[in-house]
Amino acid sequence: MNDLSPSRQPVPPHPANAARIGIGGPVGSGKTALIEALLPVFQRRGISVAVVTNDLVTAEDAERLRRSGIIDPARVLAVEAGACPHTVIREDPTLNILAADELDARFPGLELVIIESGGDNLASTFSLDLVDWWIFVIDVAGGGDIPRKRGPGVLQCDLLVVNKVDLAPHVGVDLDAMLEEARAVRGGSPLLATACRAGINIEAVADAICAAVLIRR
Amino acid sequence: MTAPAGLQSDEDVLVSTLVGSRLDHDLGHRLHHMEHDGTVETVRLETRDMTRRRLRVVTDRGTPCLIALPRSEQLFDGAILLLDAHRAIVVRALEQAWLRLRPASLPDALQLGYAAGNLHWKVRFDGGDVEVALEAPRQAYLDRVRDLIADGRVTIVETGA
Ligand SMILES: Nc1nc2c(ncn2[C@@H]2O[C@H](COP(=O)(O)OP(=O)(O)OP(=O)(O)O)[C@@H](O)[C@H]2O)c(=O)[nH]1
Ligand SMILES: [Mg+2]
Repeated sequence: MNDLSPSRQPVPPHPANAARIGIGGPVGSGKTALIEALLPVFQRRGISVAVVTNDLVTAEDAERLRRSGIIDPARVLAVEAGACPHTVIREDPTLNILAADELDARFPGLELVIIESGGDNLASTFSLDLVDWWIFVIDVAGGGDIPRKRGPGVLQCDLLVVNKVDLAPHVGVDLDAMLEEARAVRGGSPLLATACRAGINIEAVADAICAAVLIRR
Repeated sequence: MTAPAGLQSDEDVLVSTLVGSRLDHDLGHRLHHMEHDGTVETVRLETRDMTRRRLRVVTDRGTPCLIALPRSEQLFDGAILLLDAHRAIVVRALEQAWLRLRPASLPDALQLGYAAGNLHWKVRFDGGDVEVALEAPRQAYLDRVRDLIADGRVTIVETGA
């Protein structure tokens, strides 16, 4: 339809910029694996996504995502966090904010920017100046007692993801007890158990992100 | 910002910019009249949630809203999310809860101050006391300084507020 008054067409309302979510958690818990699993889900749902990765002194995770073929490489930016991965997501998130601003400018209509924190310890948390909502990823192989340690990341995140549930029988972890304890220390705040490599419960994580910060479609 | 006619009730009101403040003279005046007509809805928010730019909320009348502000804007107590002929939506901040701690001596104050900084607590000072903004259950904070409290080097001052 080549209407001369396109403004009469009801334009779906749109926010000025993309939602920003954080994904933090200890080294190797599966943060990048979760992003790799989520990207195809968002693509199927027609949601426009970009990613910012934080590594210590390299762009390892960014390169991995760019090579993956599941996202346009231009939609992945790397921020080098230096020796202190939590500083760039909490005390001084300037570099990450600039990276996300850059993605907003580069891709009109961008709906979601996912910021992966460099692997850190259980104390790392995101500043709400940087992200609107954030996930903390721990994994079963890191030990069933992690929730009990009451790390600020585990307690304060908007969604706790307990990943690598497929490994529970191999590492002698009672998964039900671990999840029960995690629920208890979080006072009932949301929690999901996943196996990112096998694709288990990824849709549920995507649903939680959509419900928290994205326009309903 | 006007809700288009035929807006389904289960559809979010999209708030992509703030209309203004209820303290603004003209806006406040309008709201006052609308309050009489019962068309002002309220969103109650925790202090922590006020720092978010994106947030899905439900008003006291059950209207779902997706707040999606530009990064340059920030929510505040009294922020007006929507104002049209039929309806207004206003933010109310829930009062921040504080935990007031009193060190017994200067060395104890040093230790308490160190703990607060190390744990990234949000604090304010009043006289010789430290007040900690509670963003998690109170016990979670007390647990972190339990030795200082057990030894009587720090005491909890009940504020009643
Ligand atoms: N068995 C199993 N392995 C997984 C799962 N998720 C991730 N892994 C593996 O765990 C290792 C670490 O995963 P990453 O996604 O790189 O973890 P990360 O949290 O991004 O790590 P850093 O960014 O280095 O902190 C990789 O070898 C993954 O293949 C899972 O659900 N099950
Ligand atoms: Mg990674």
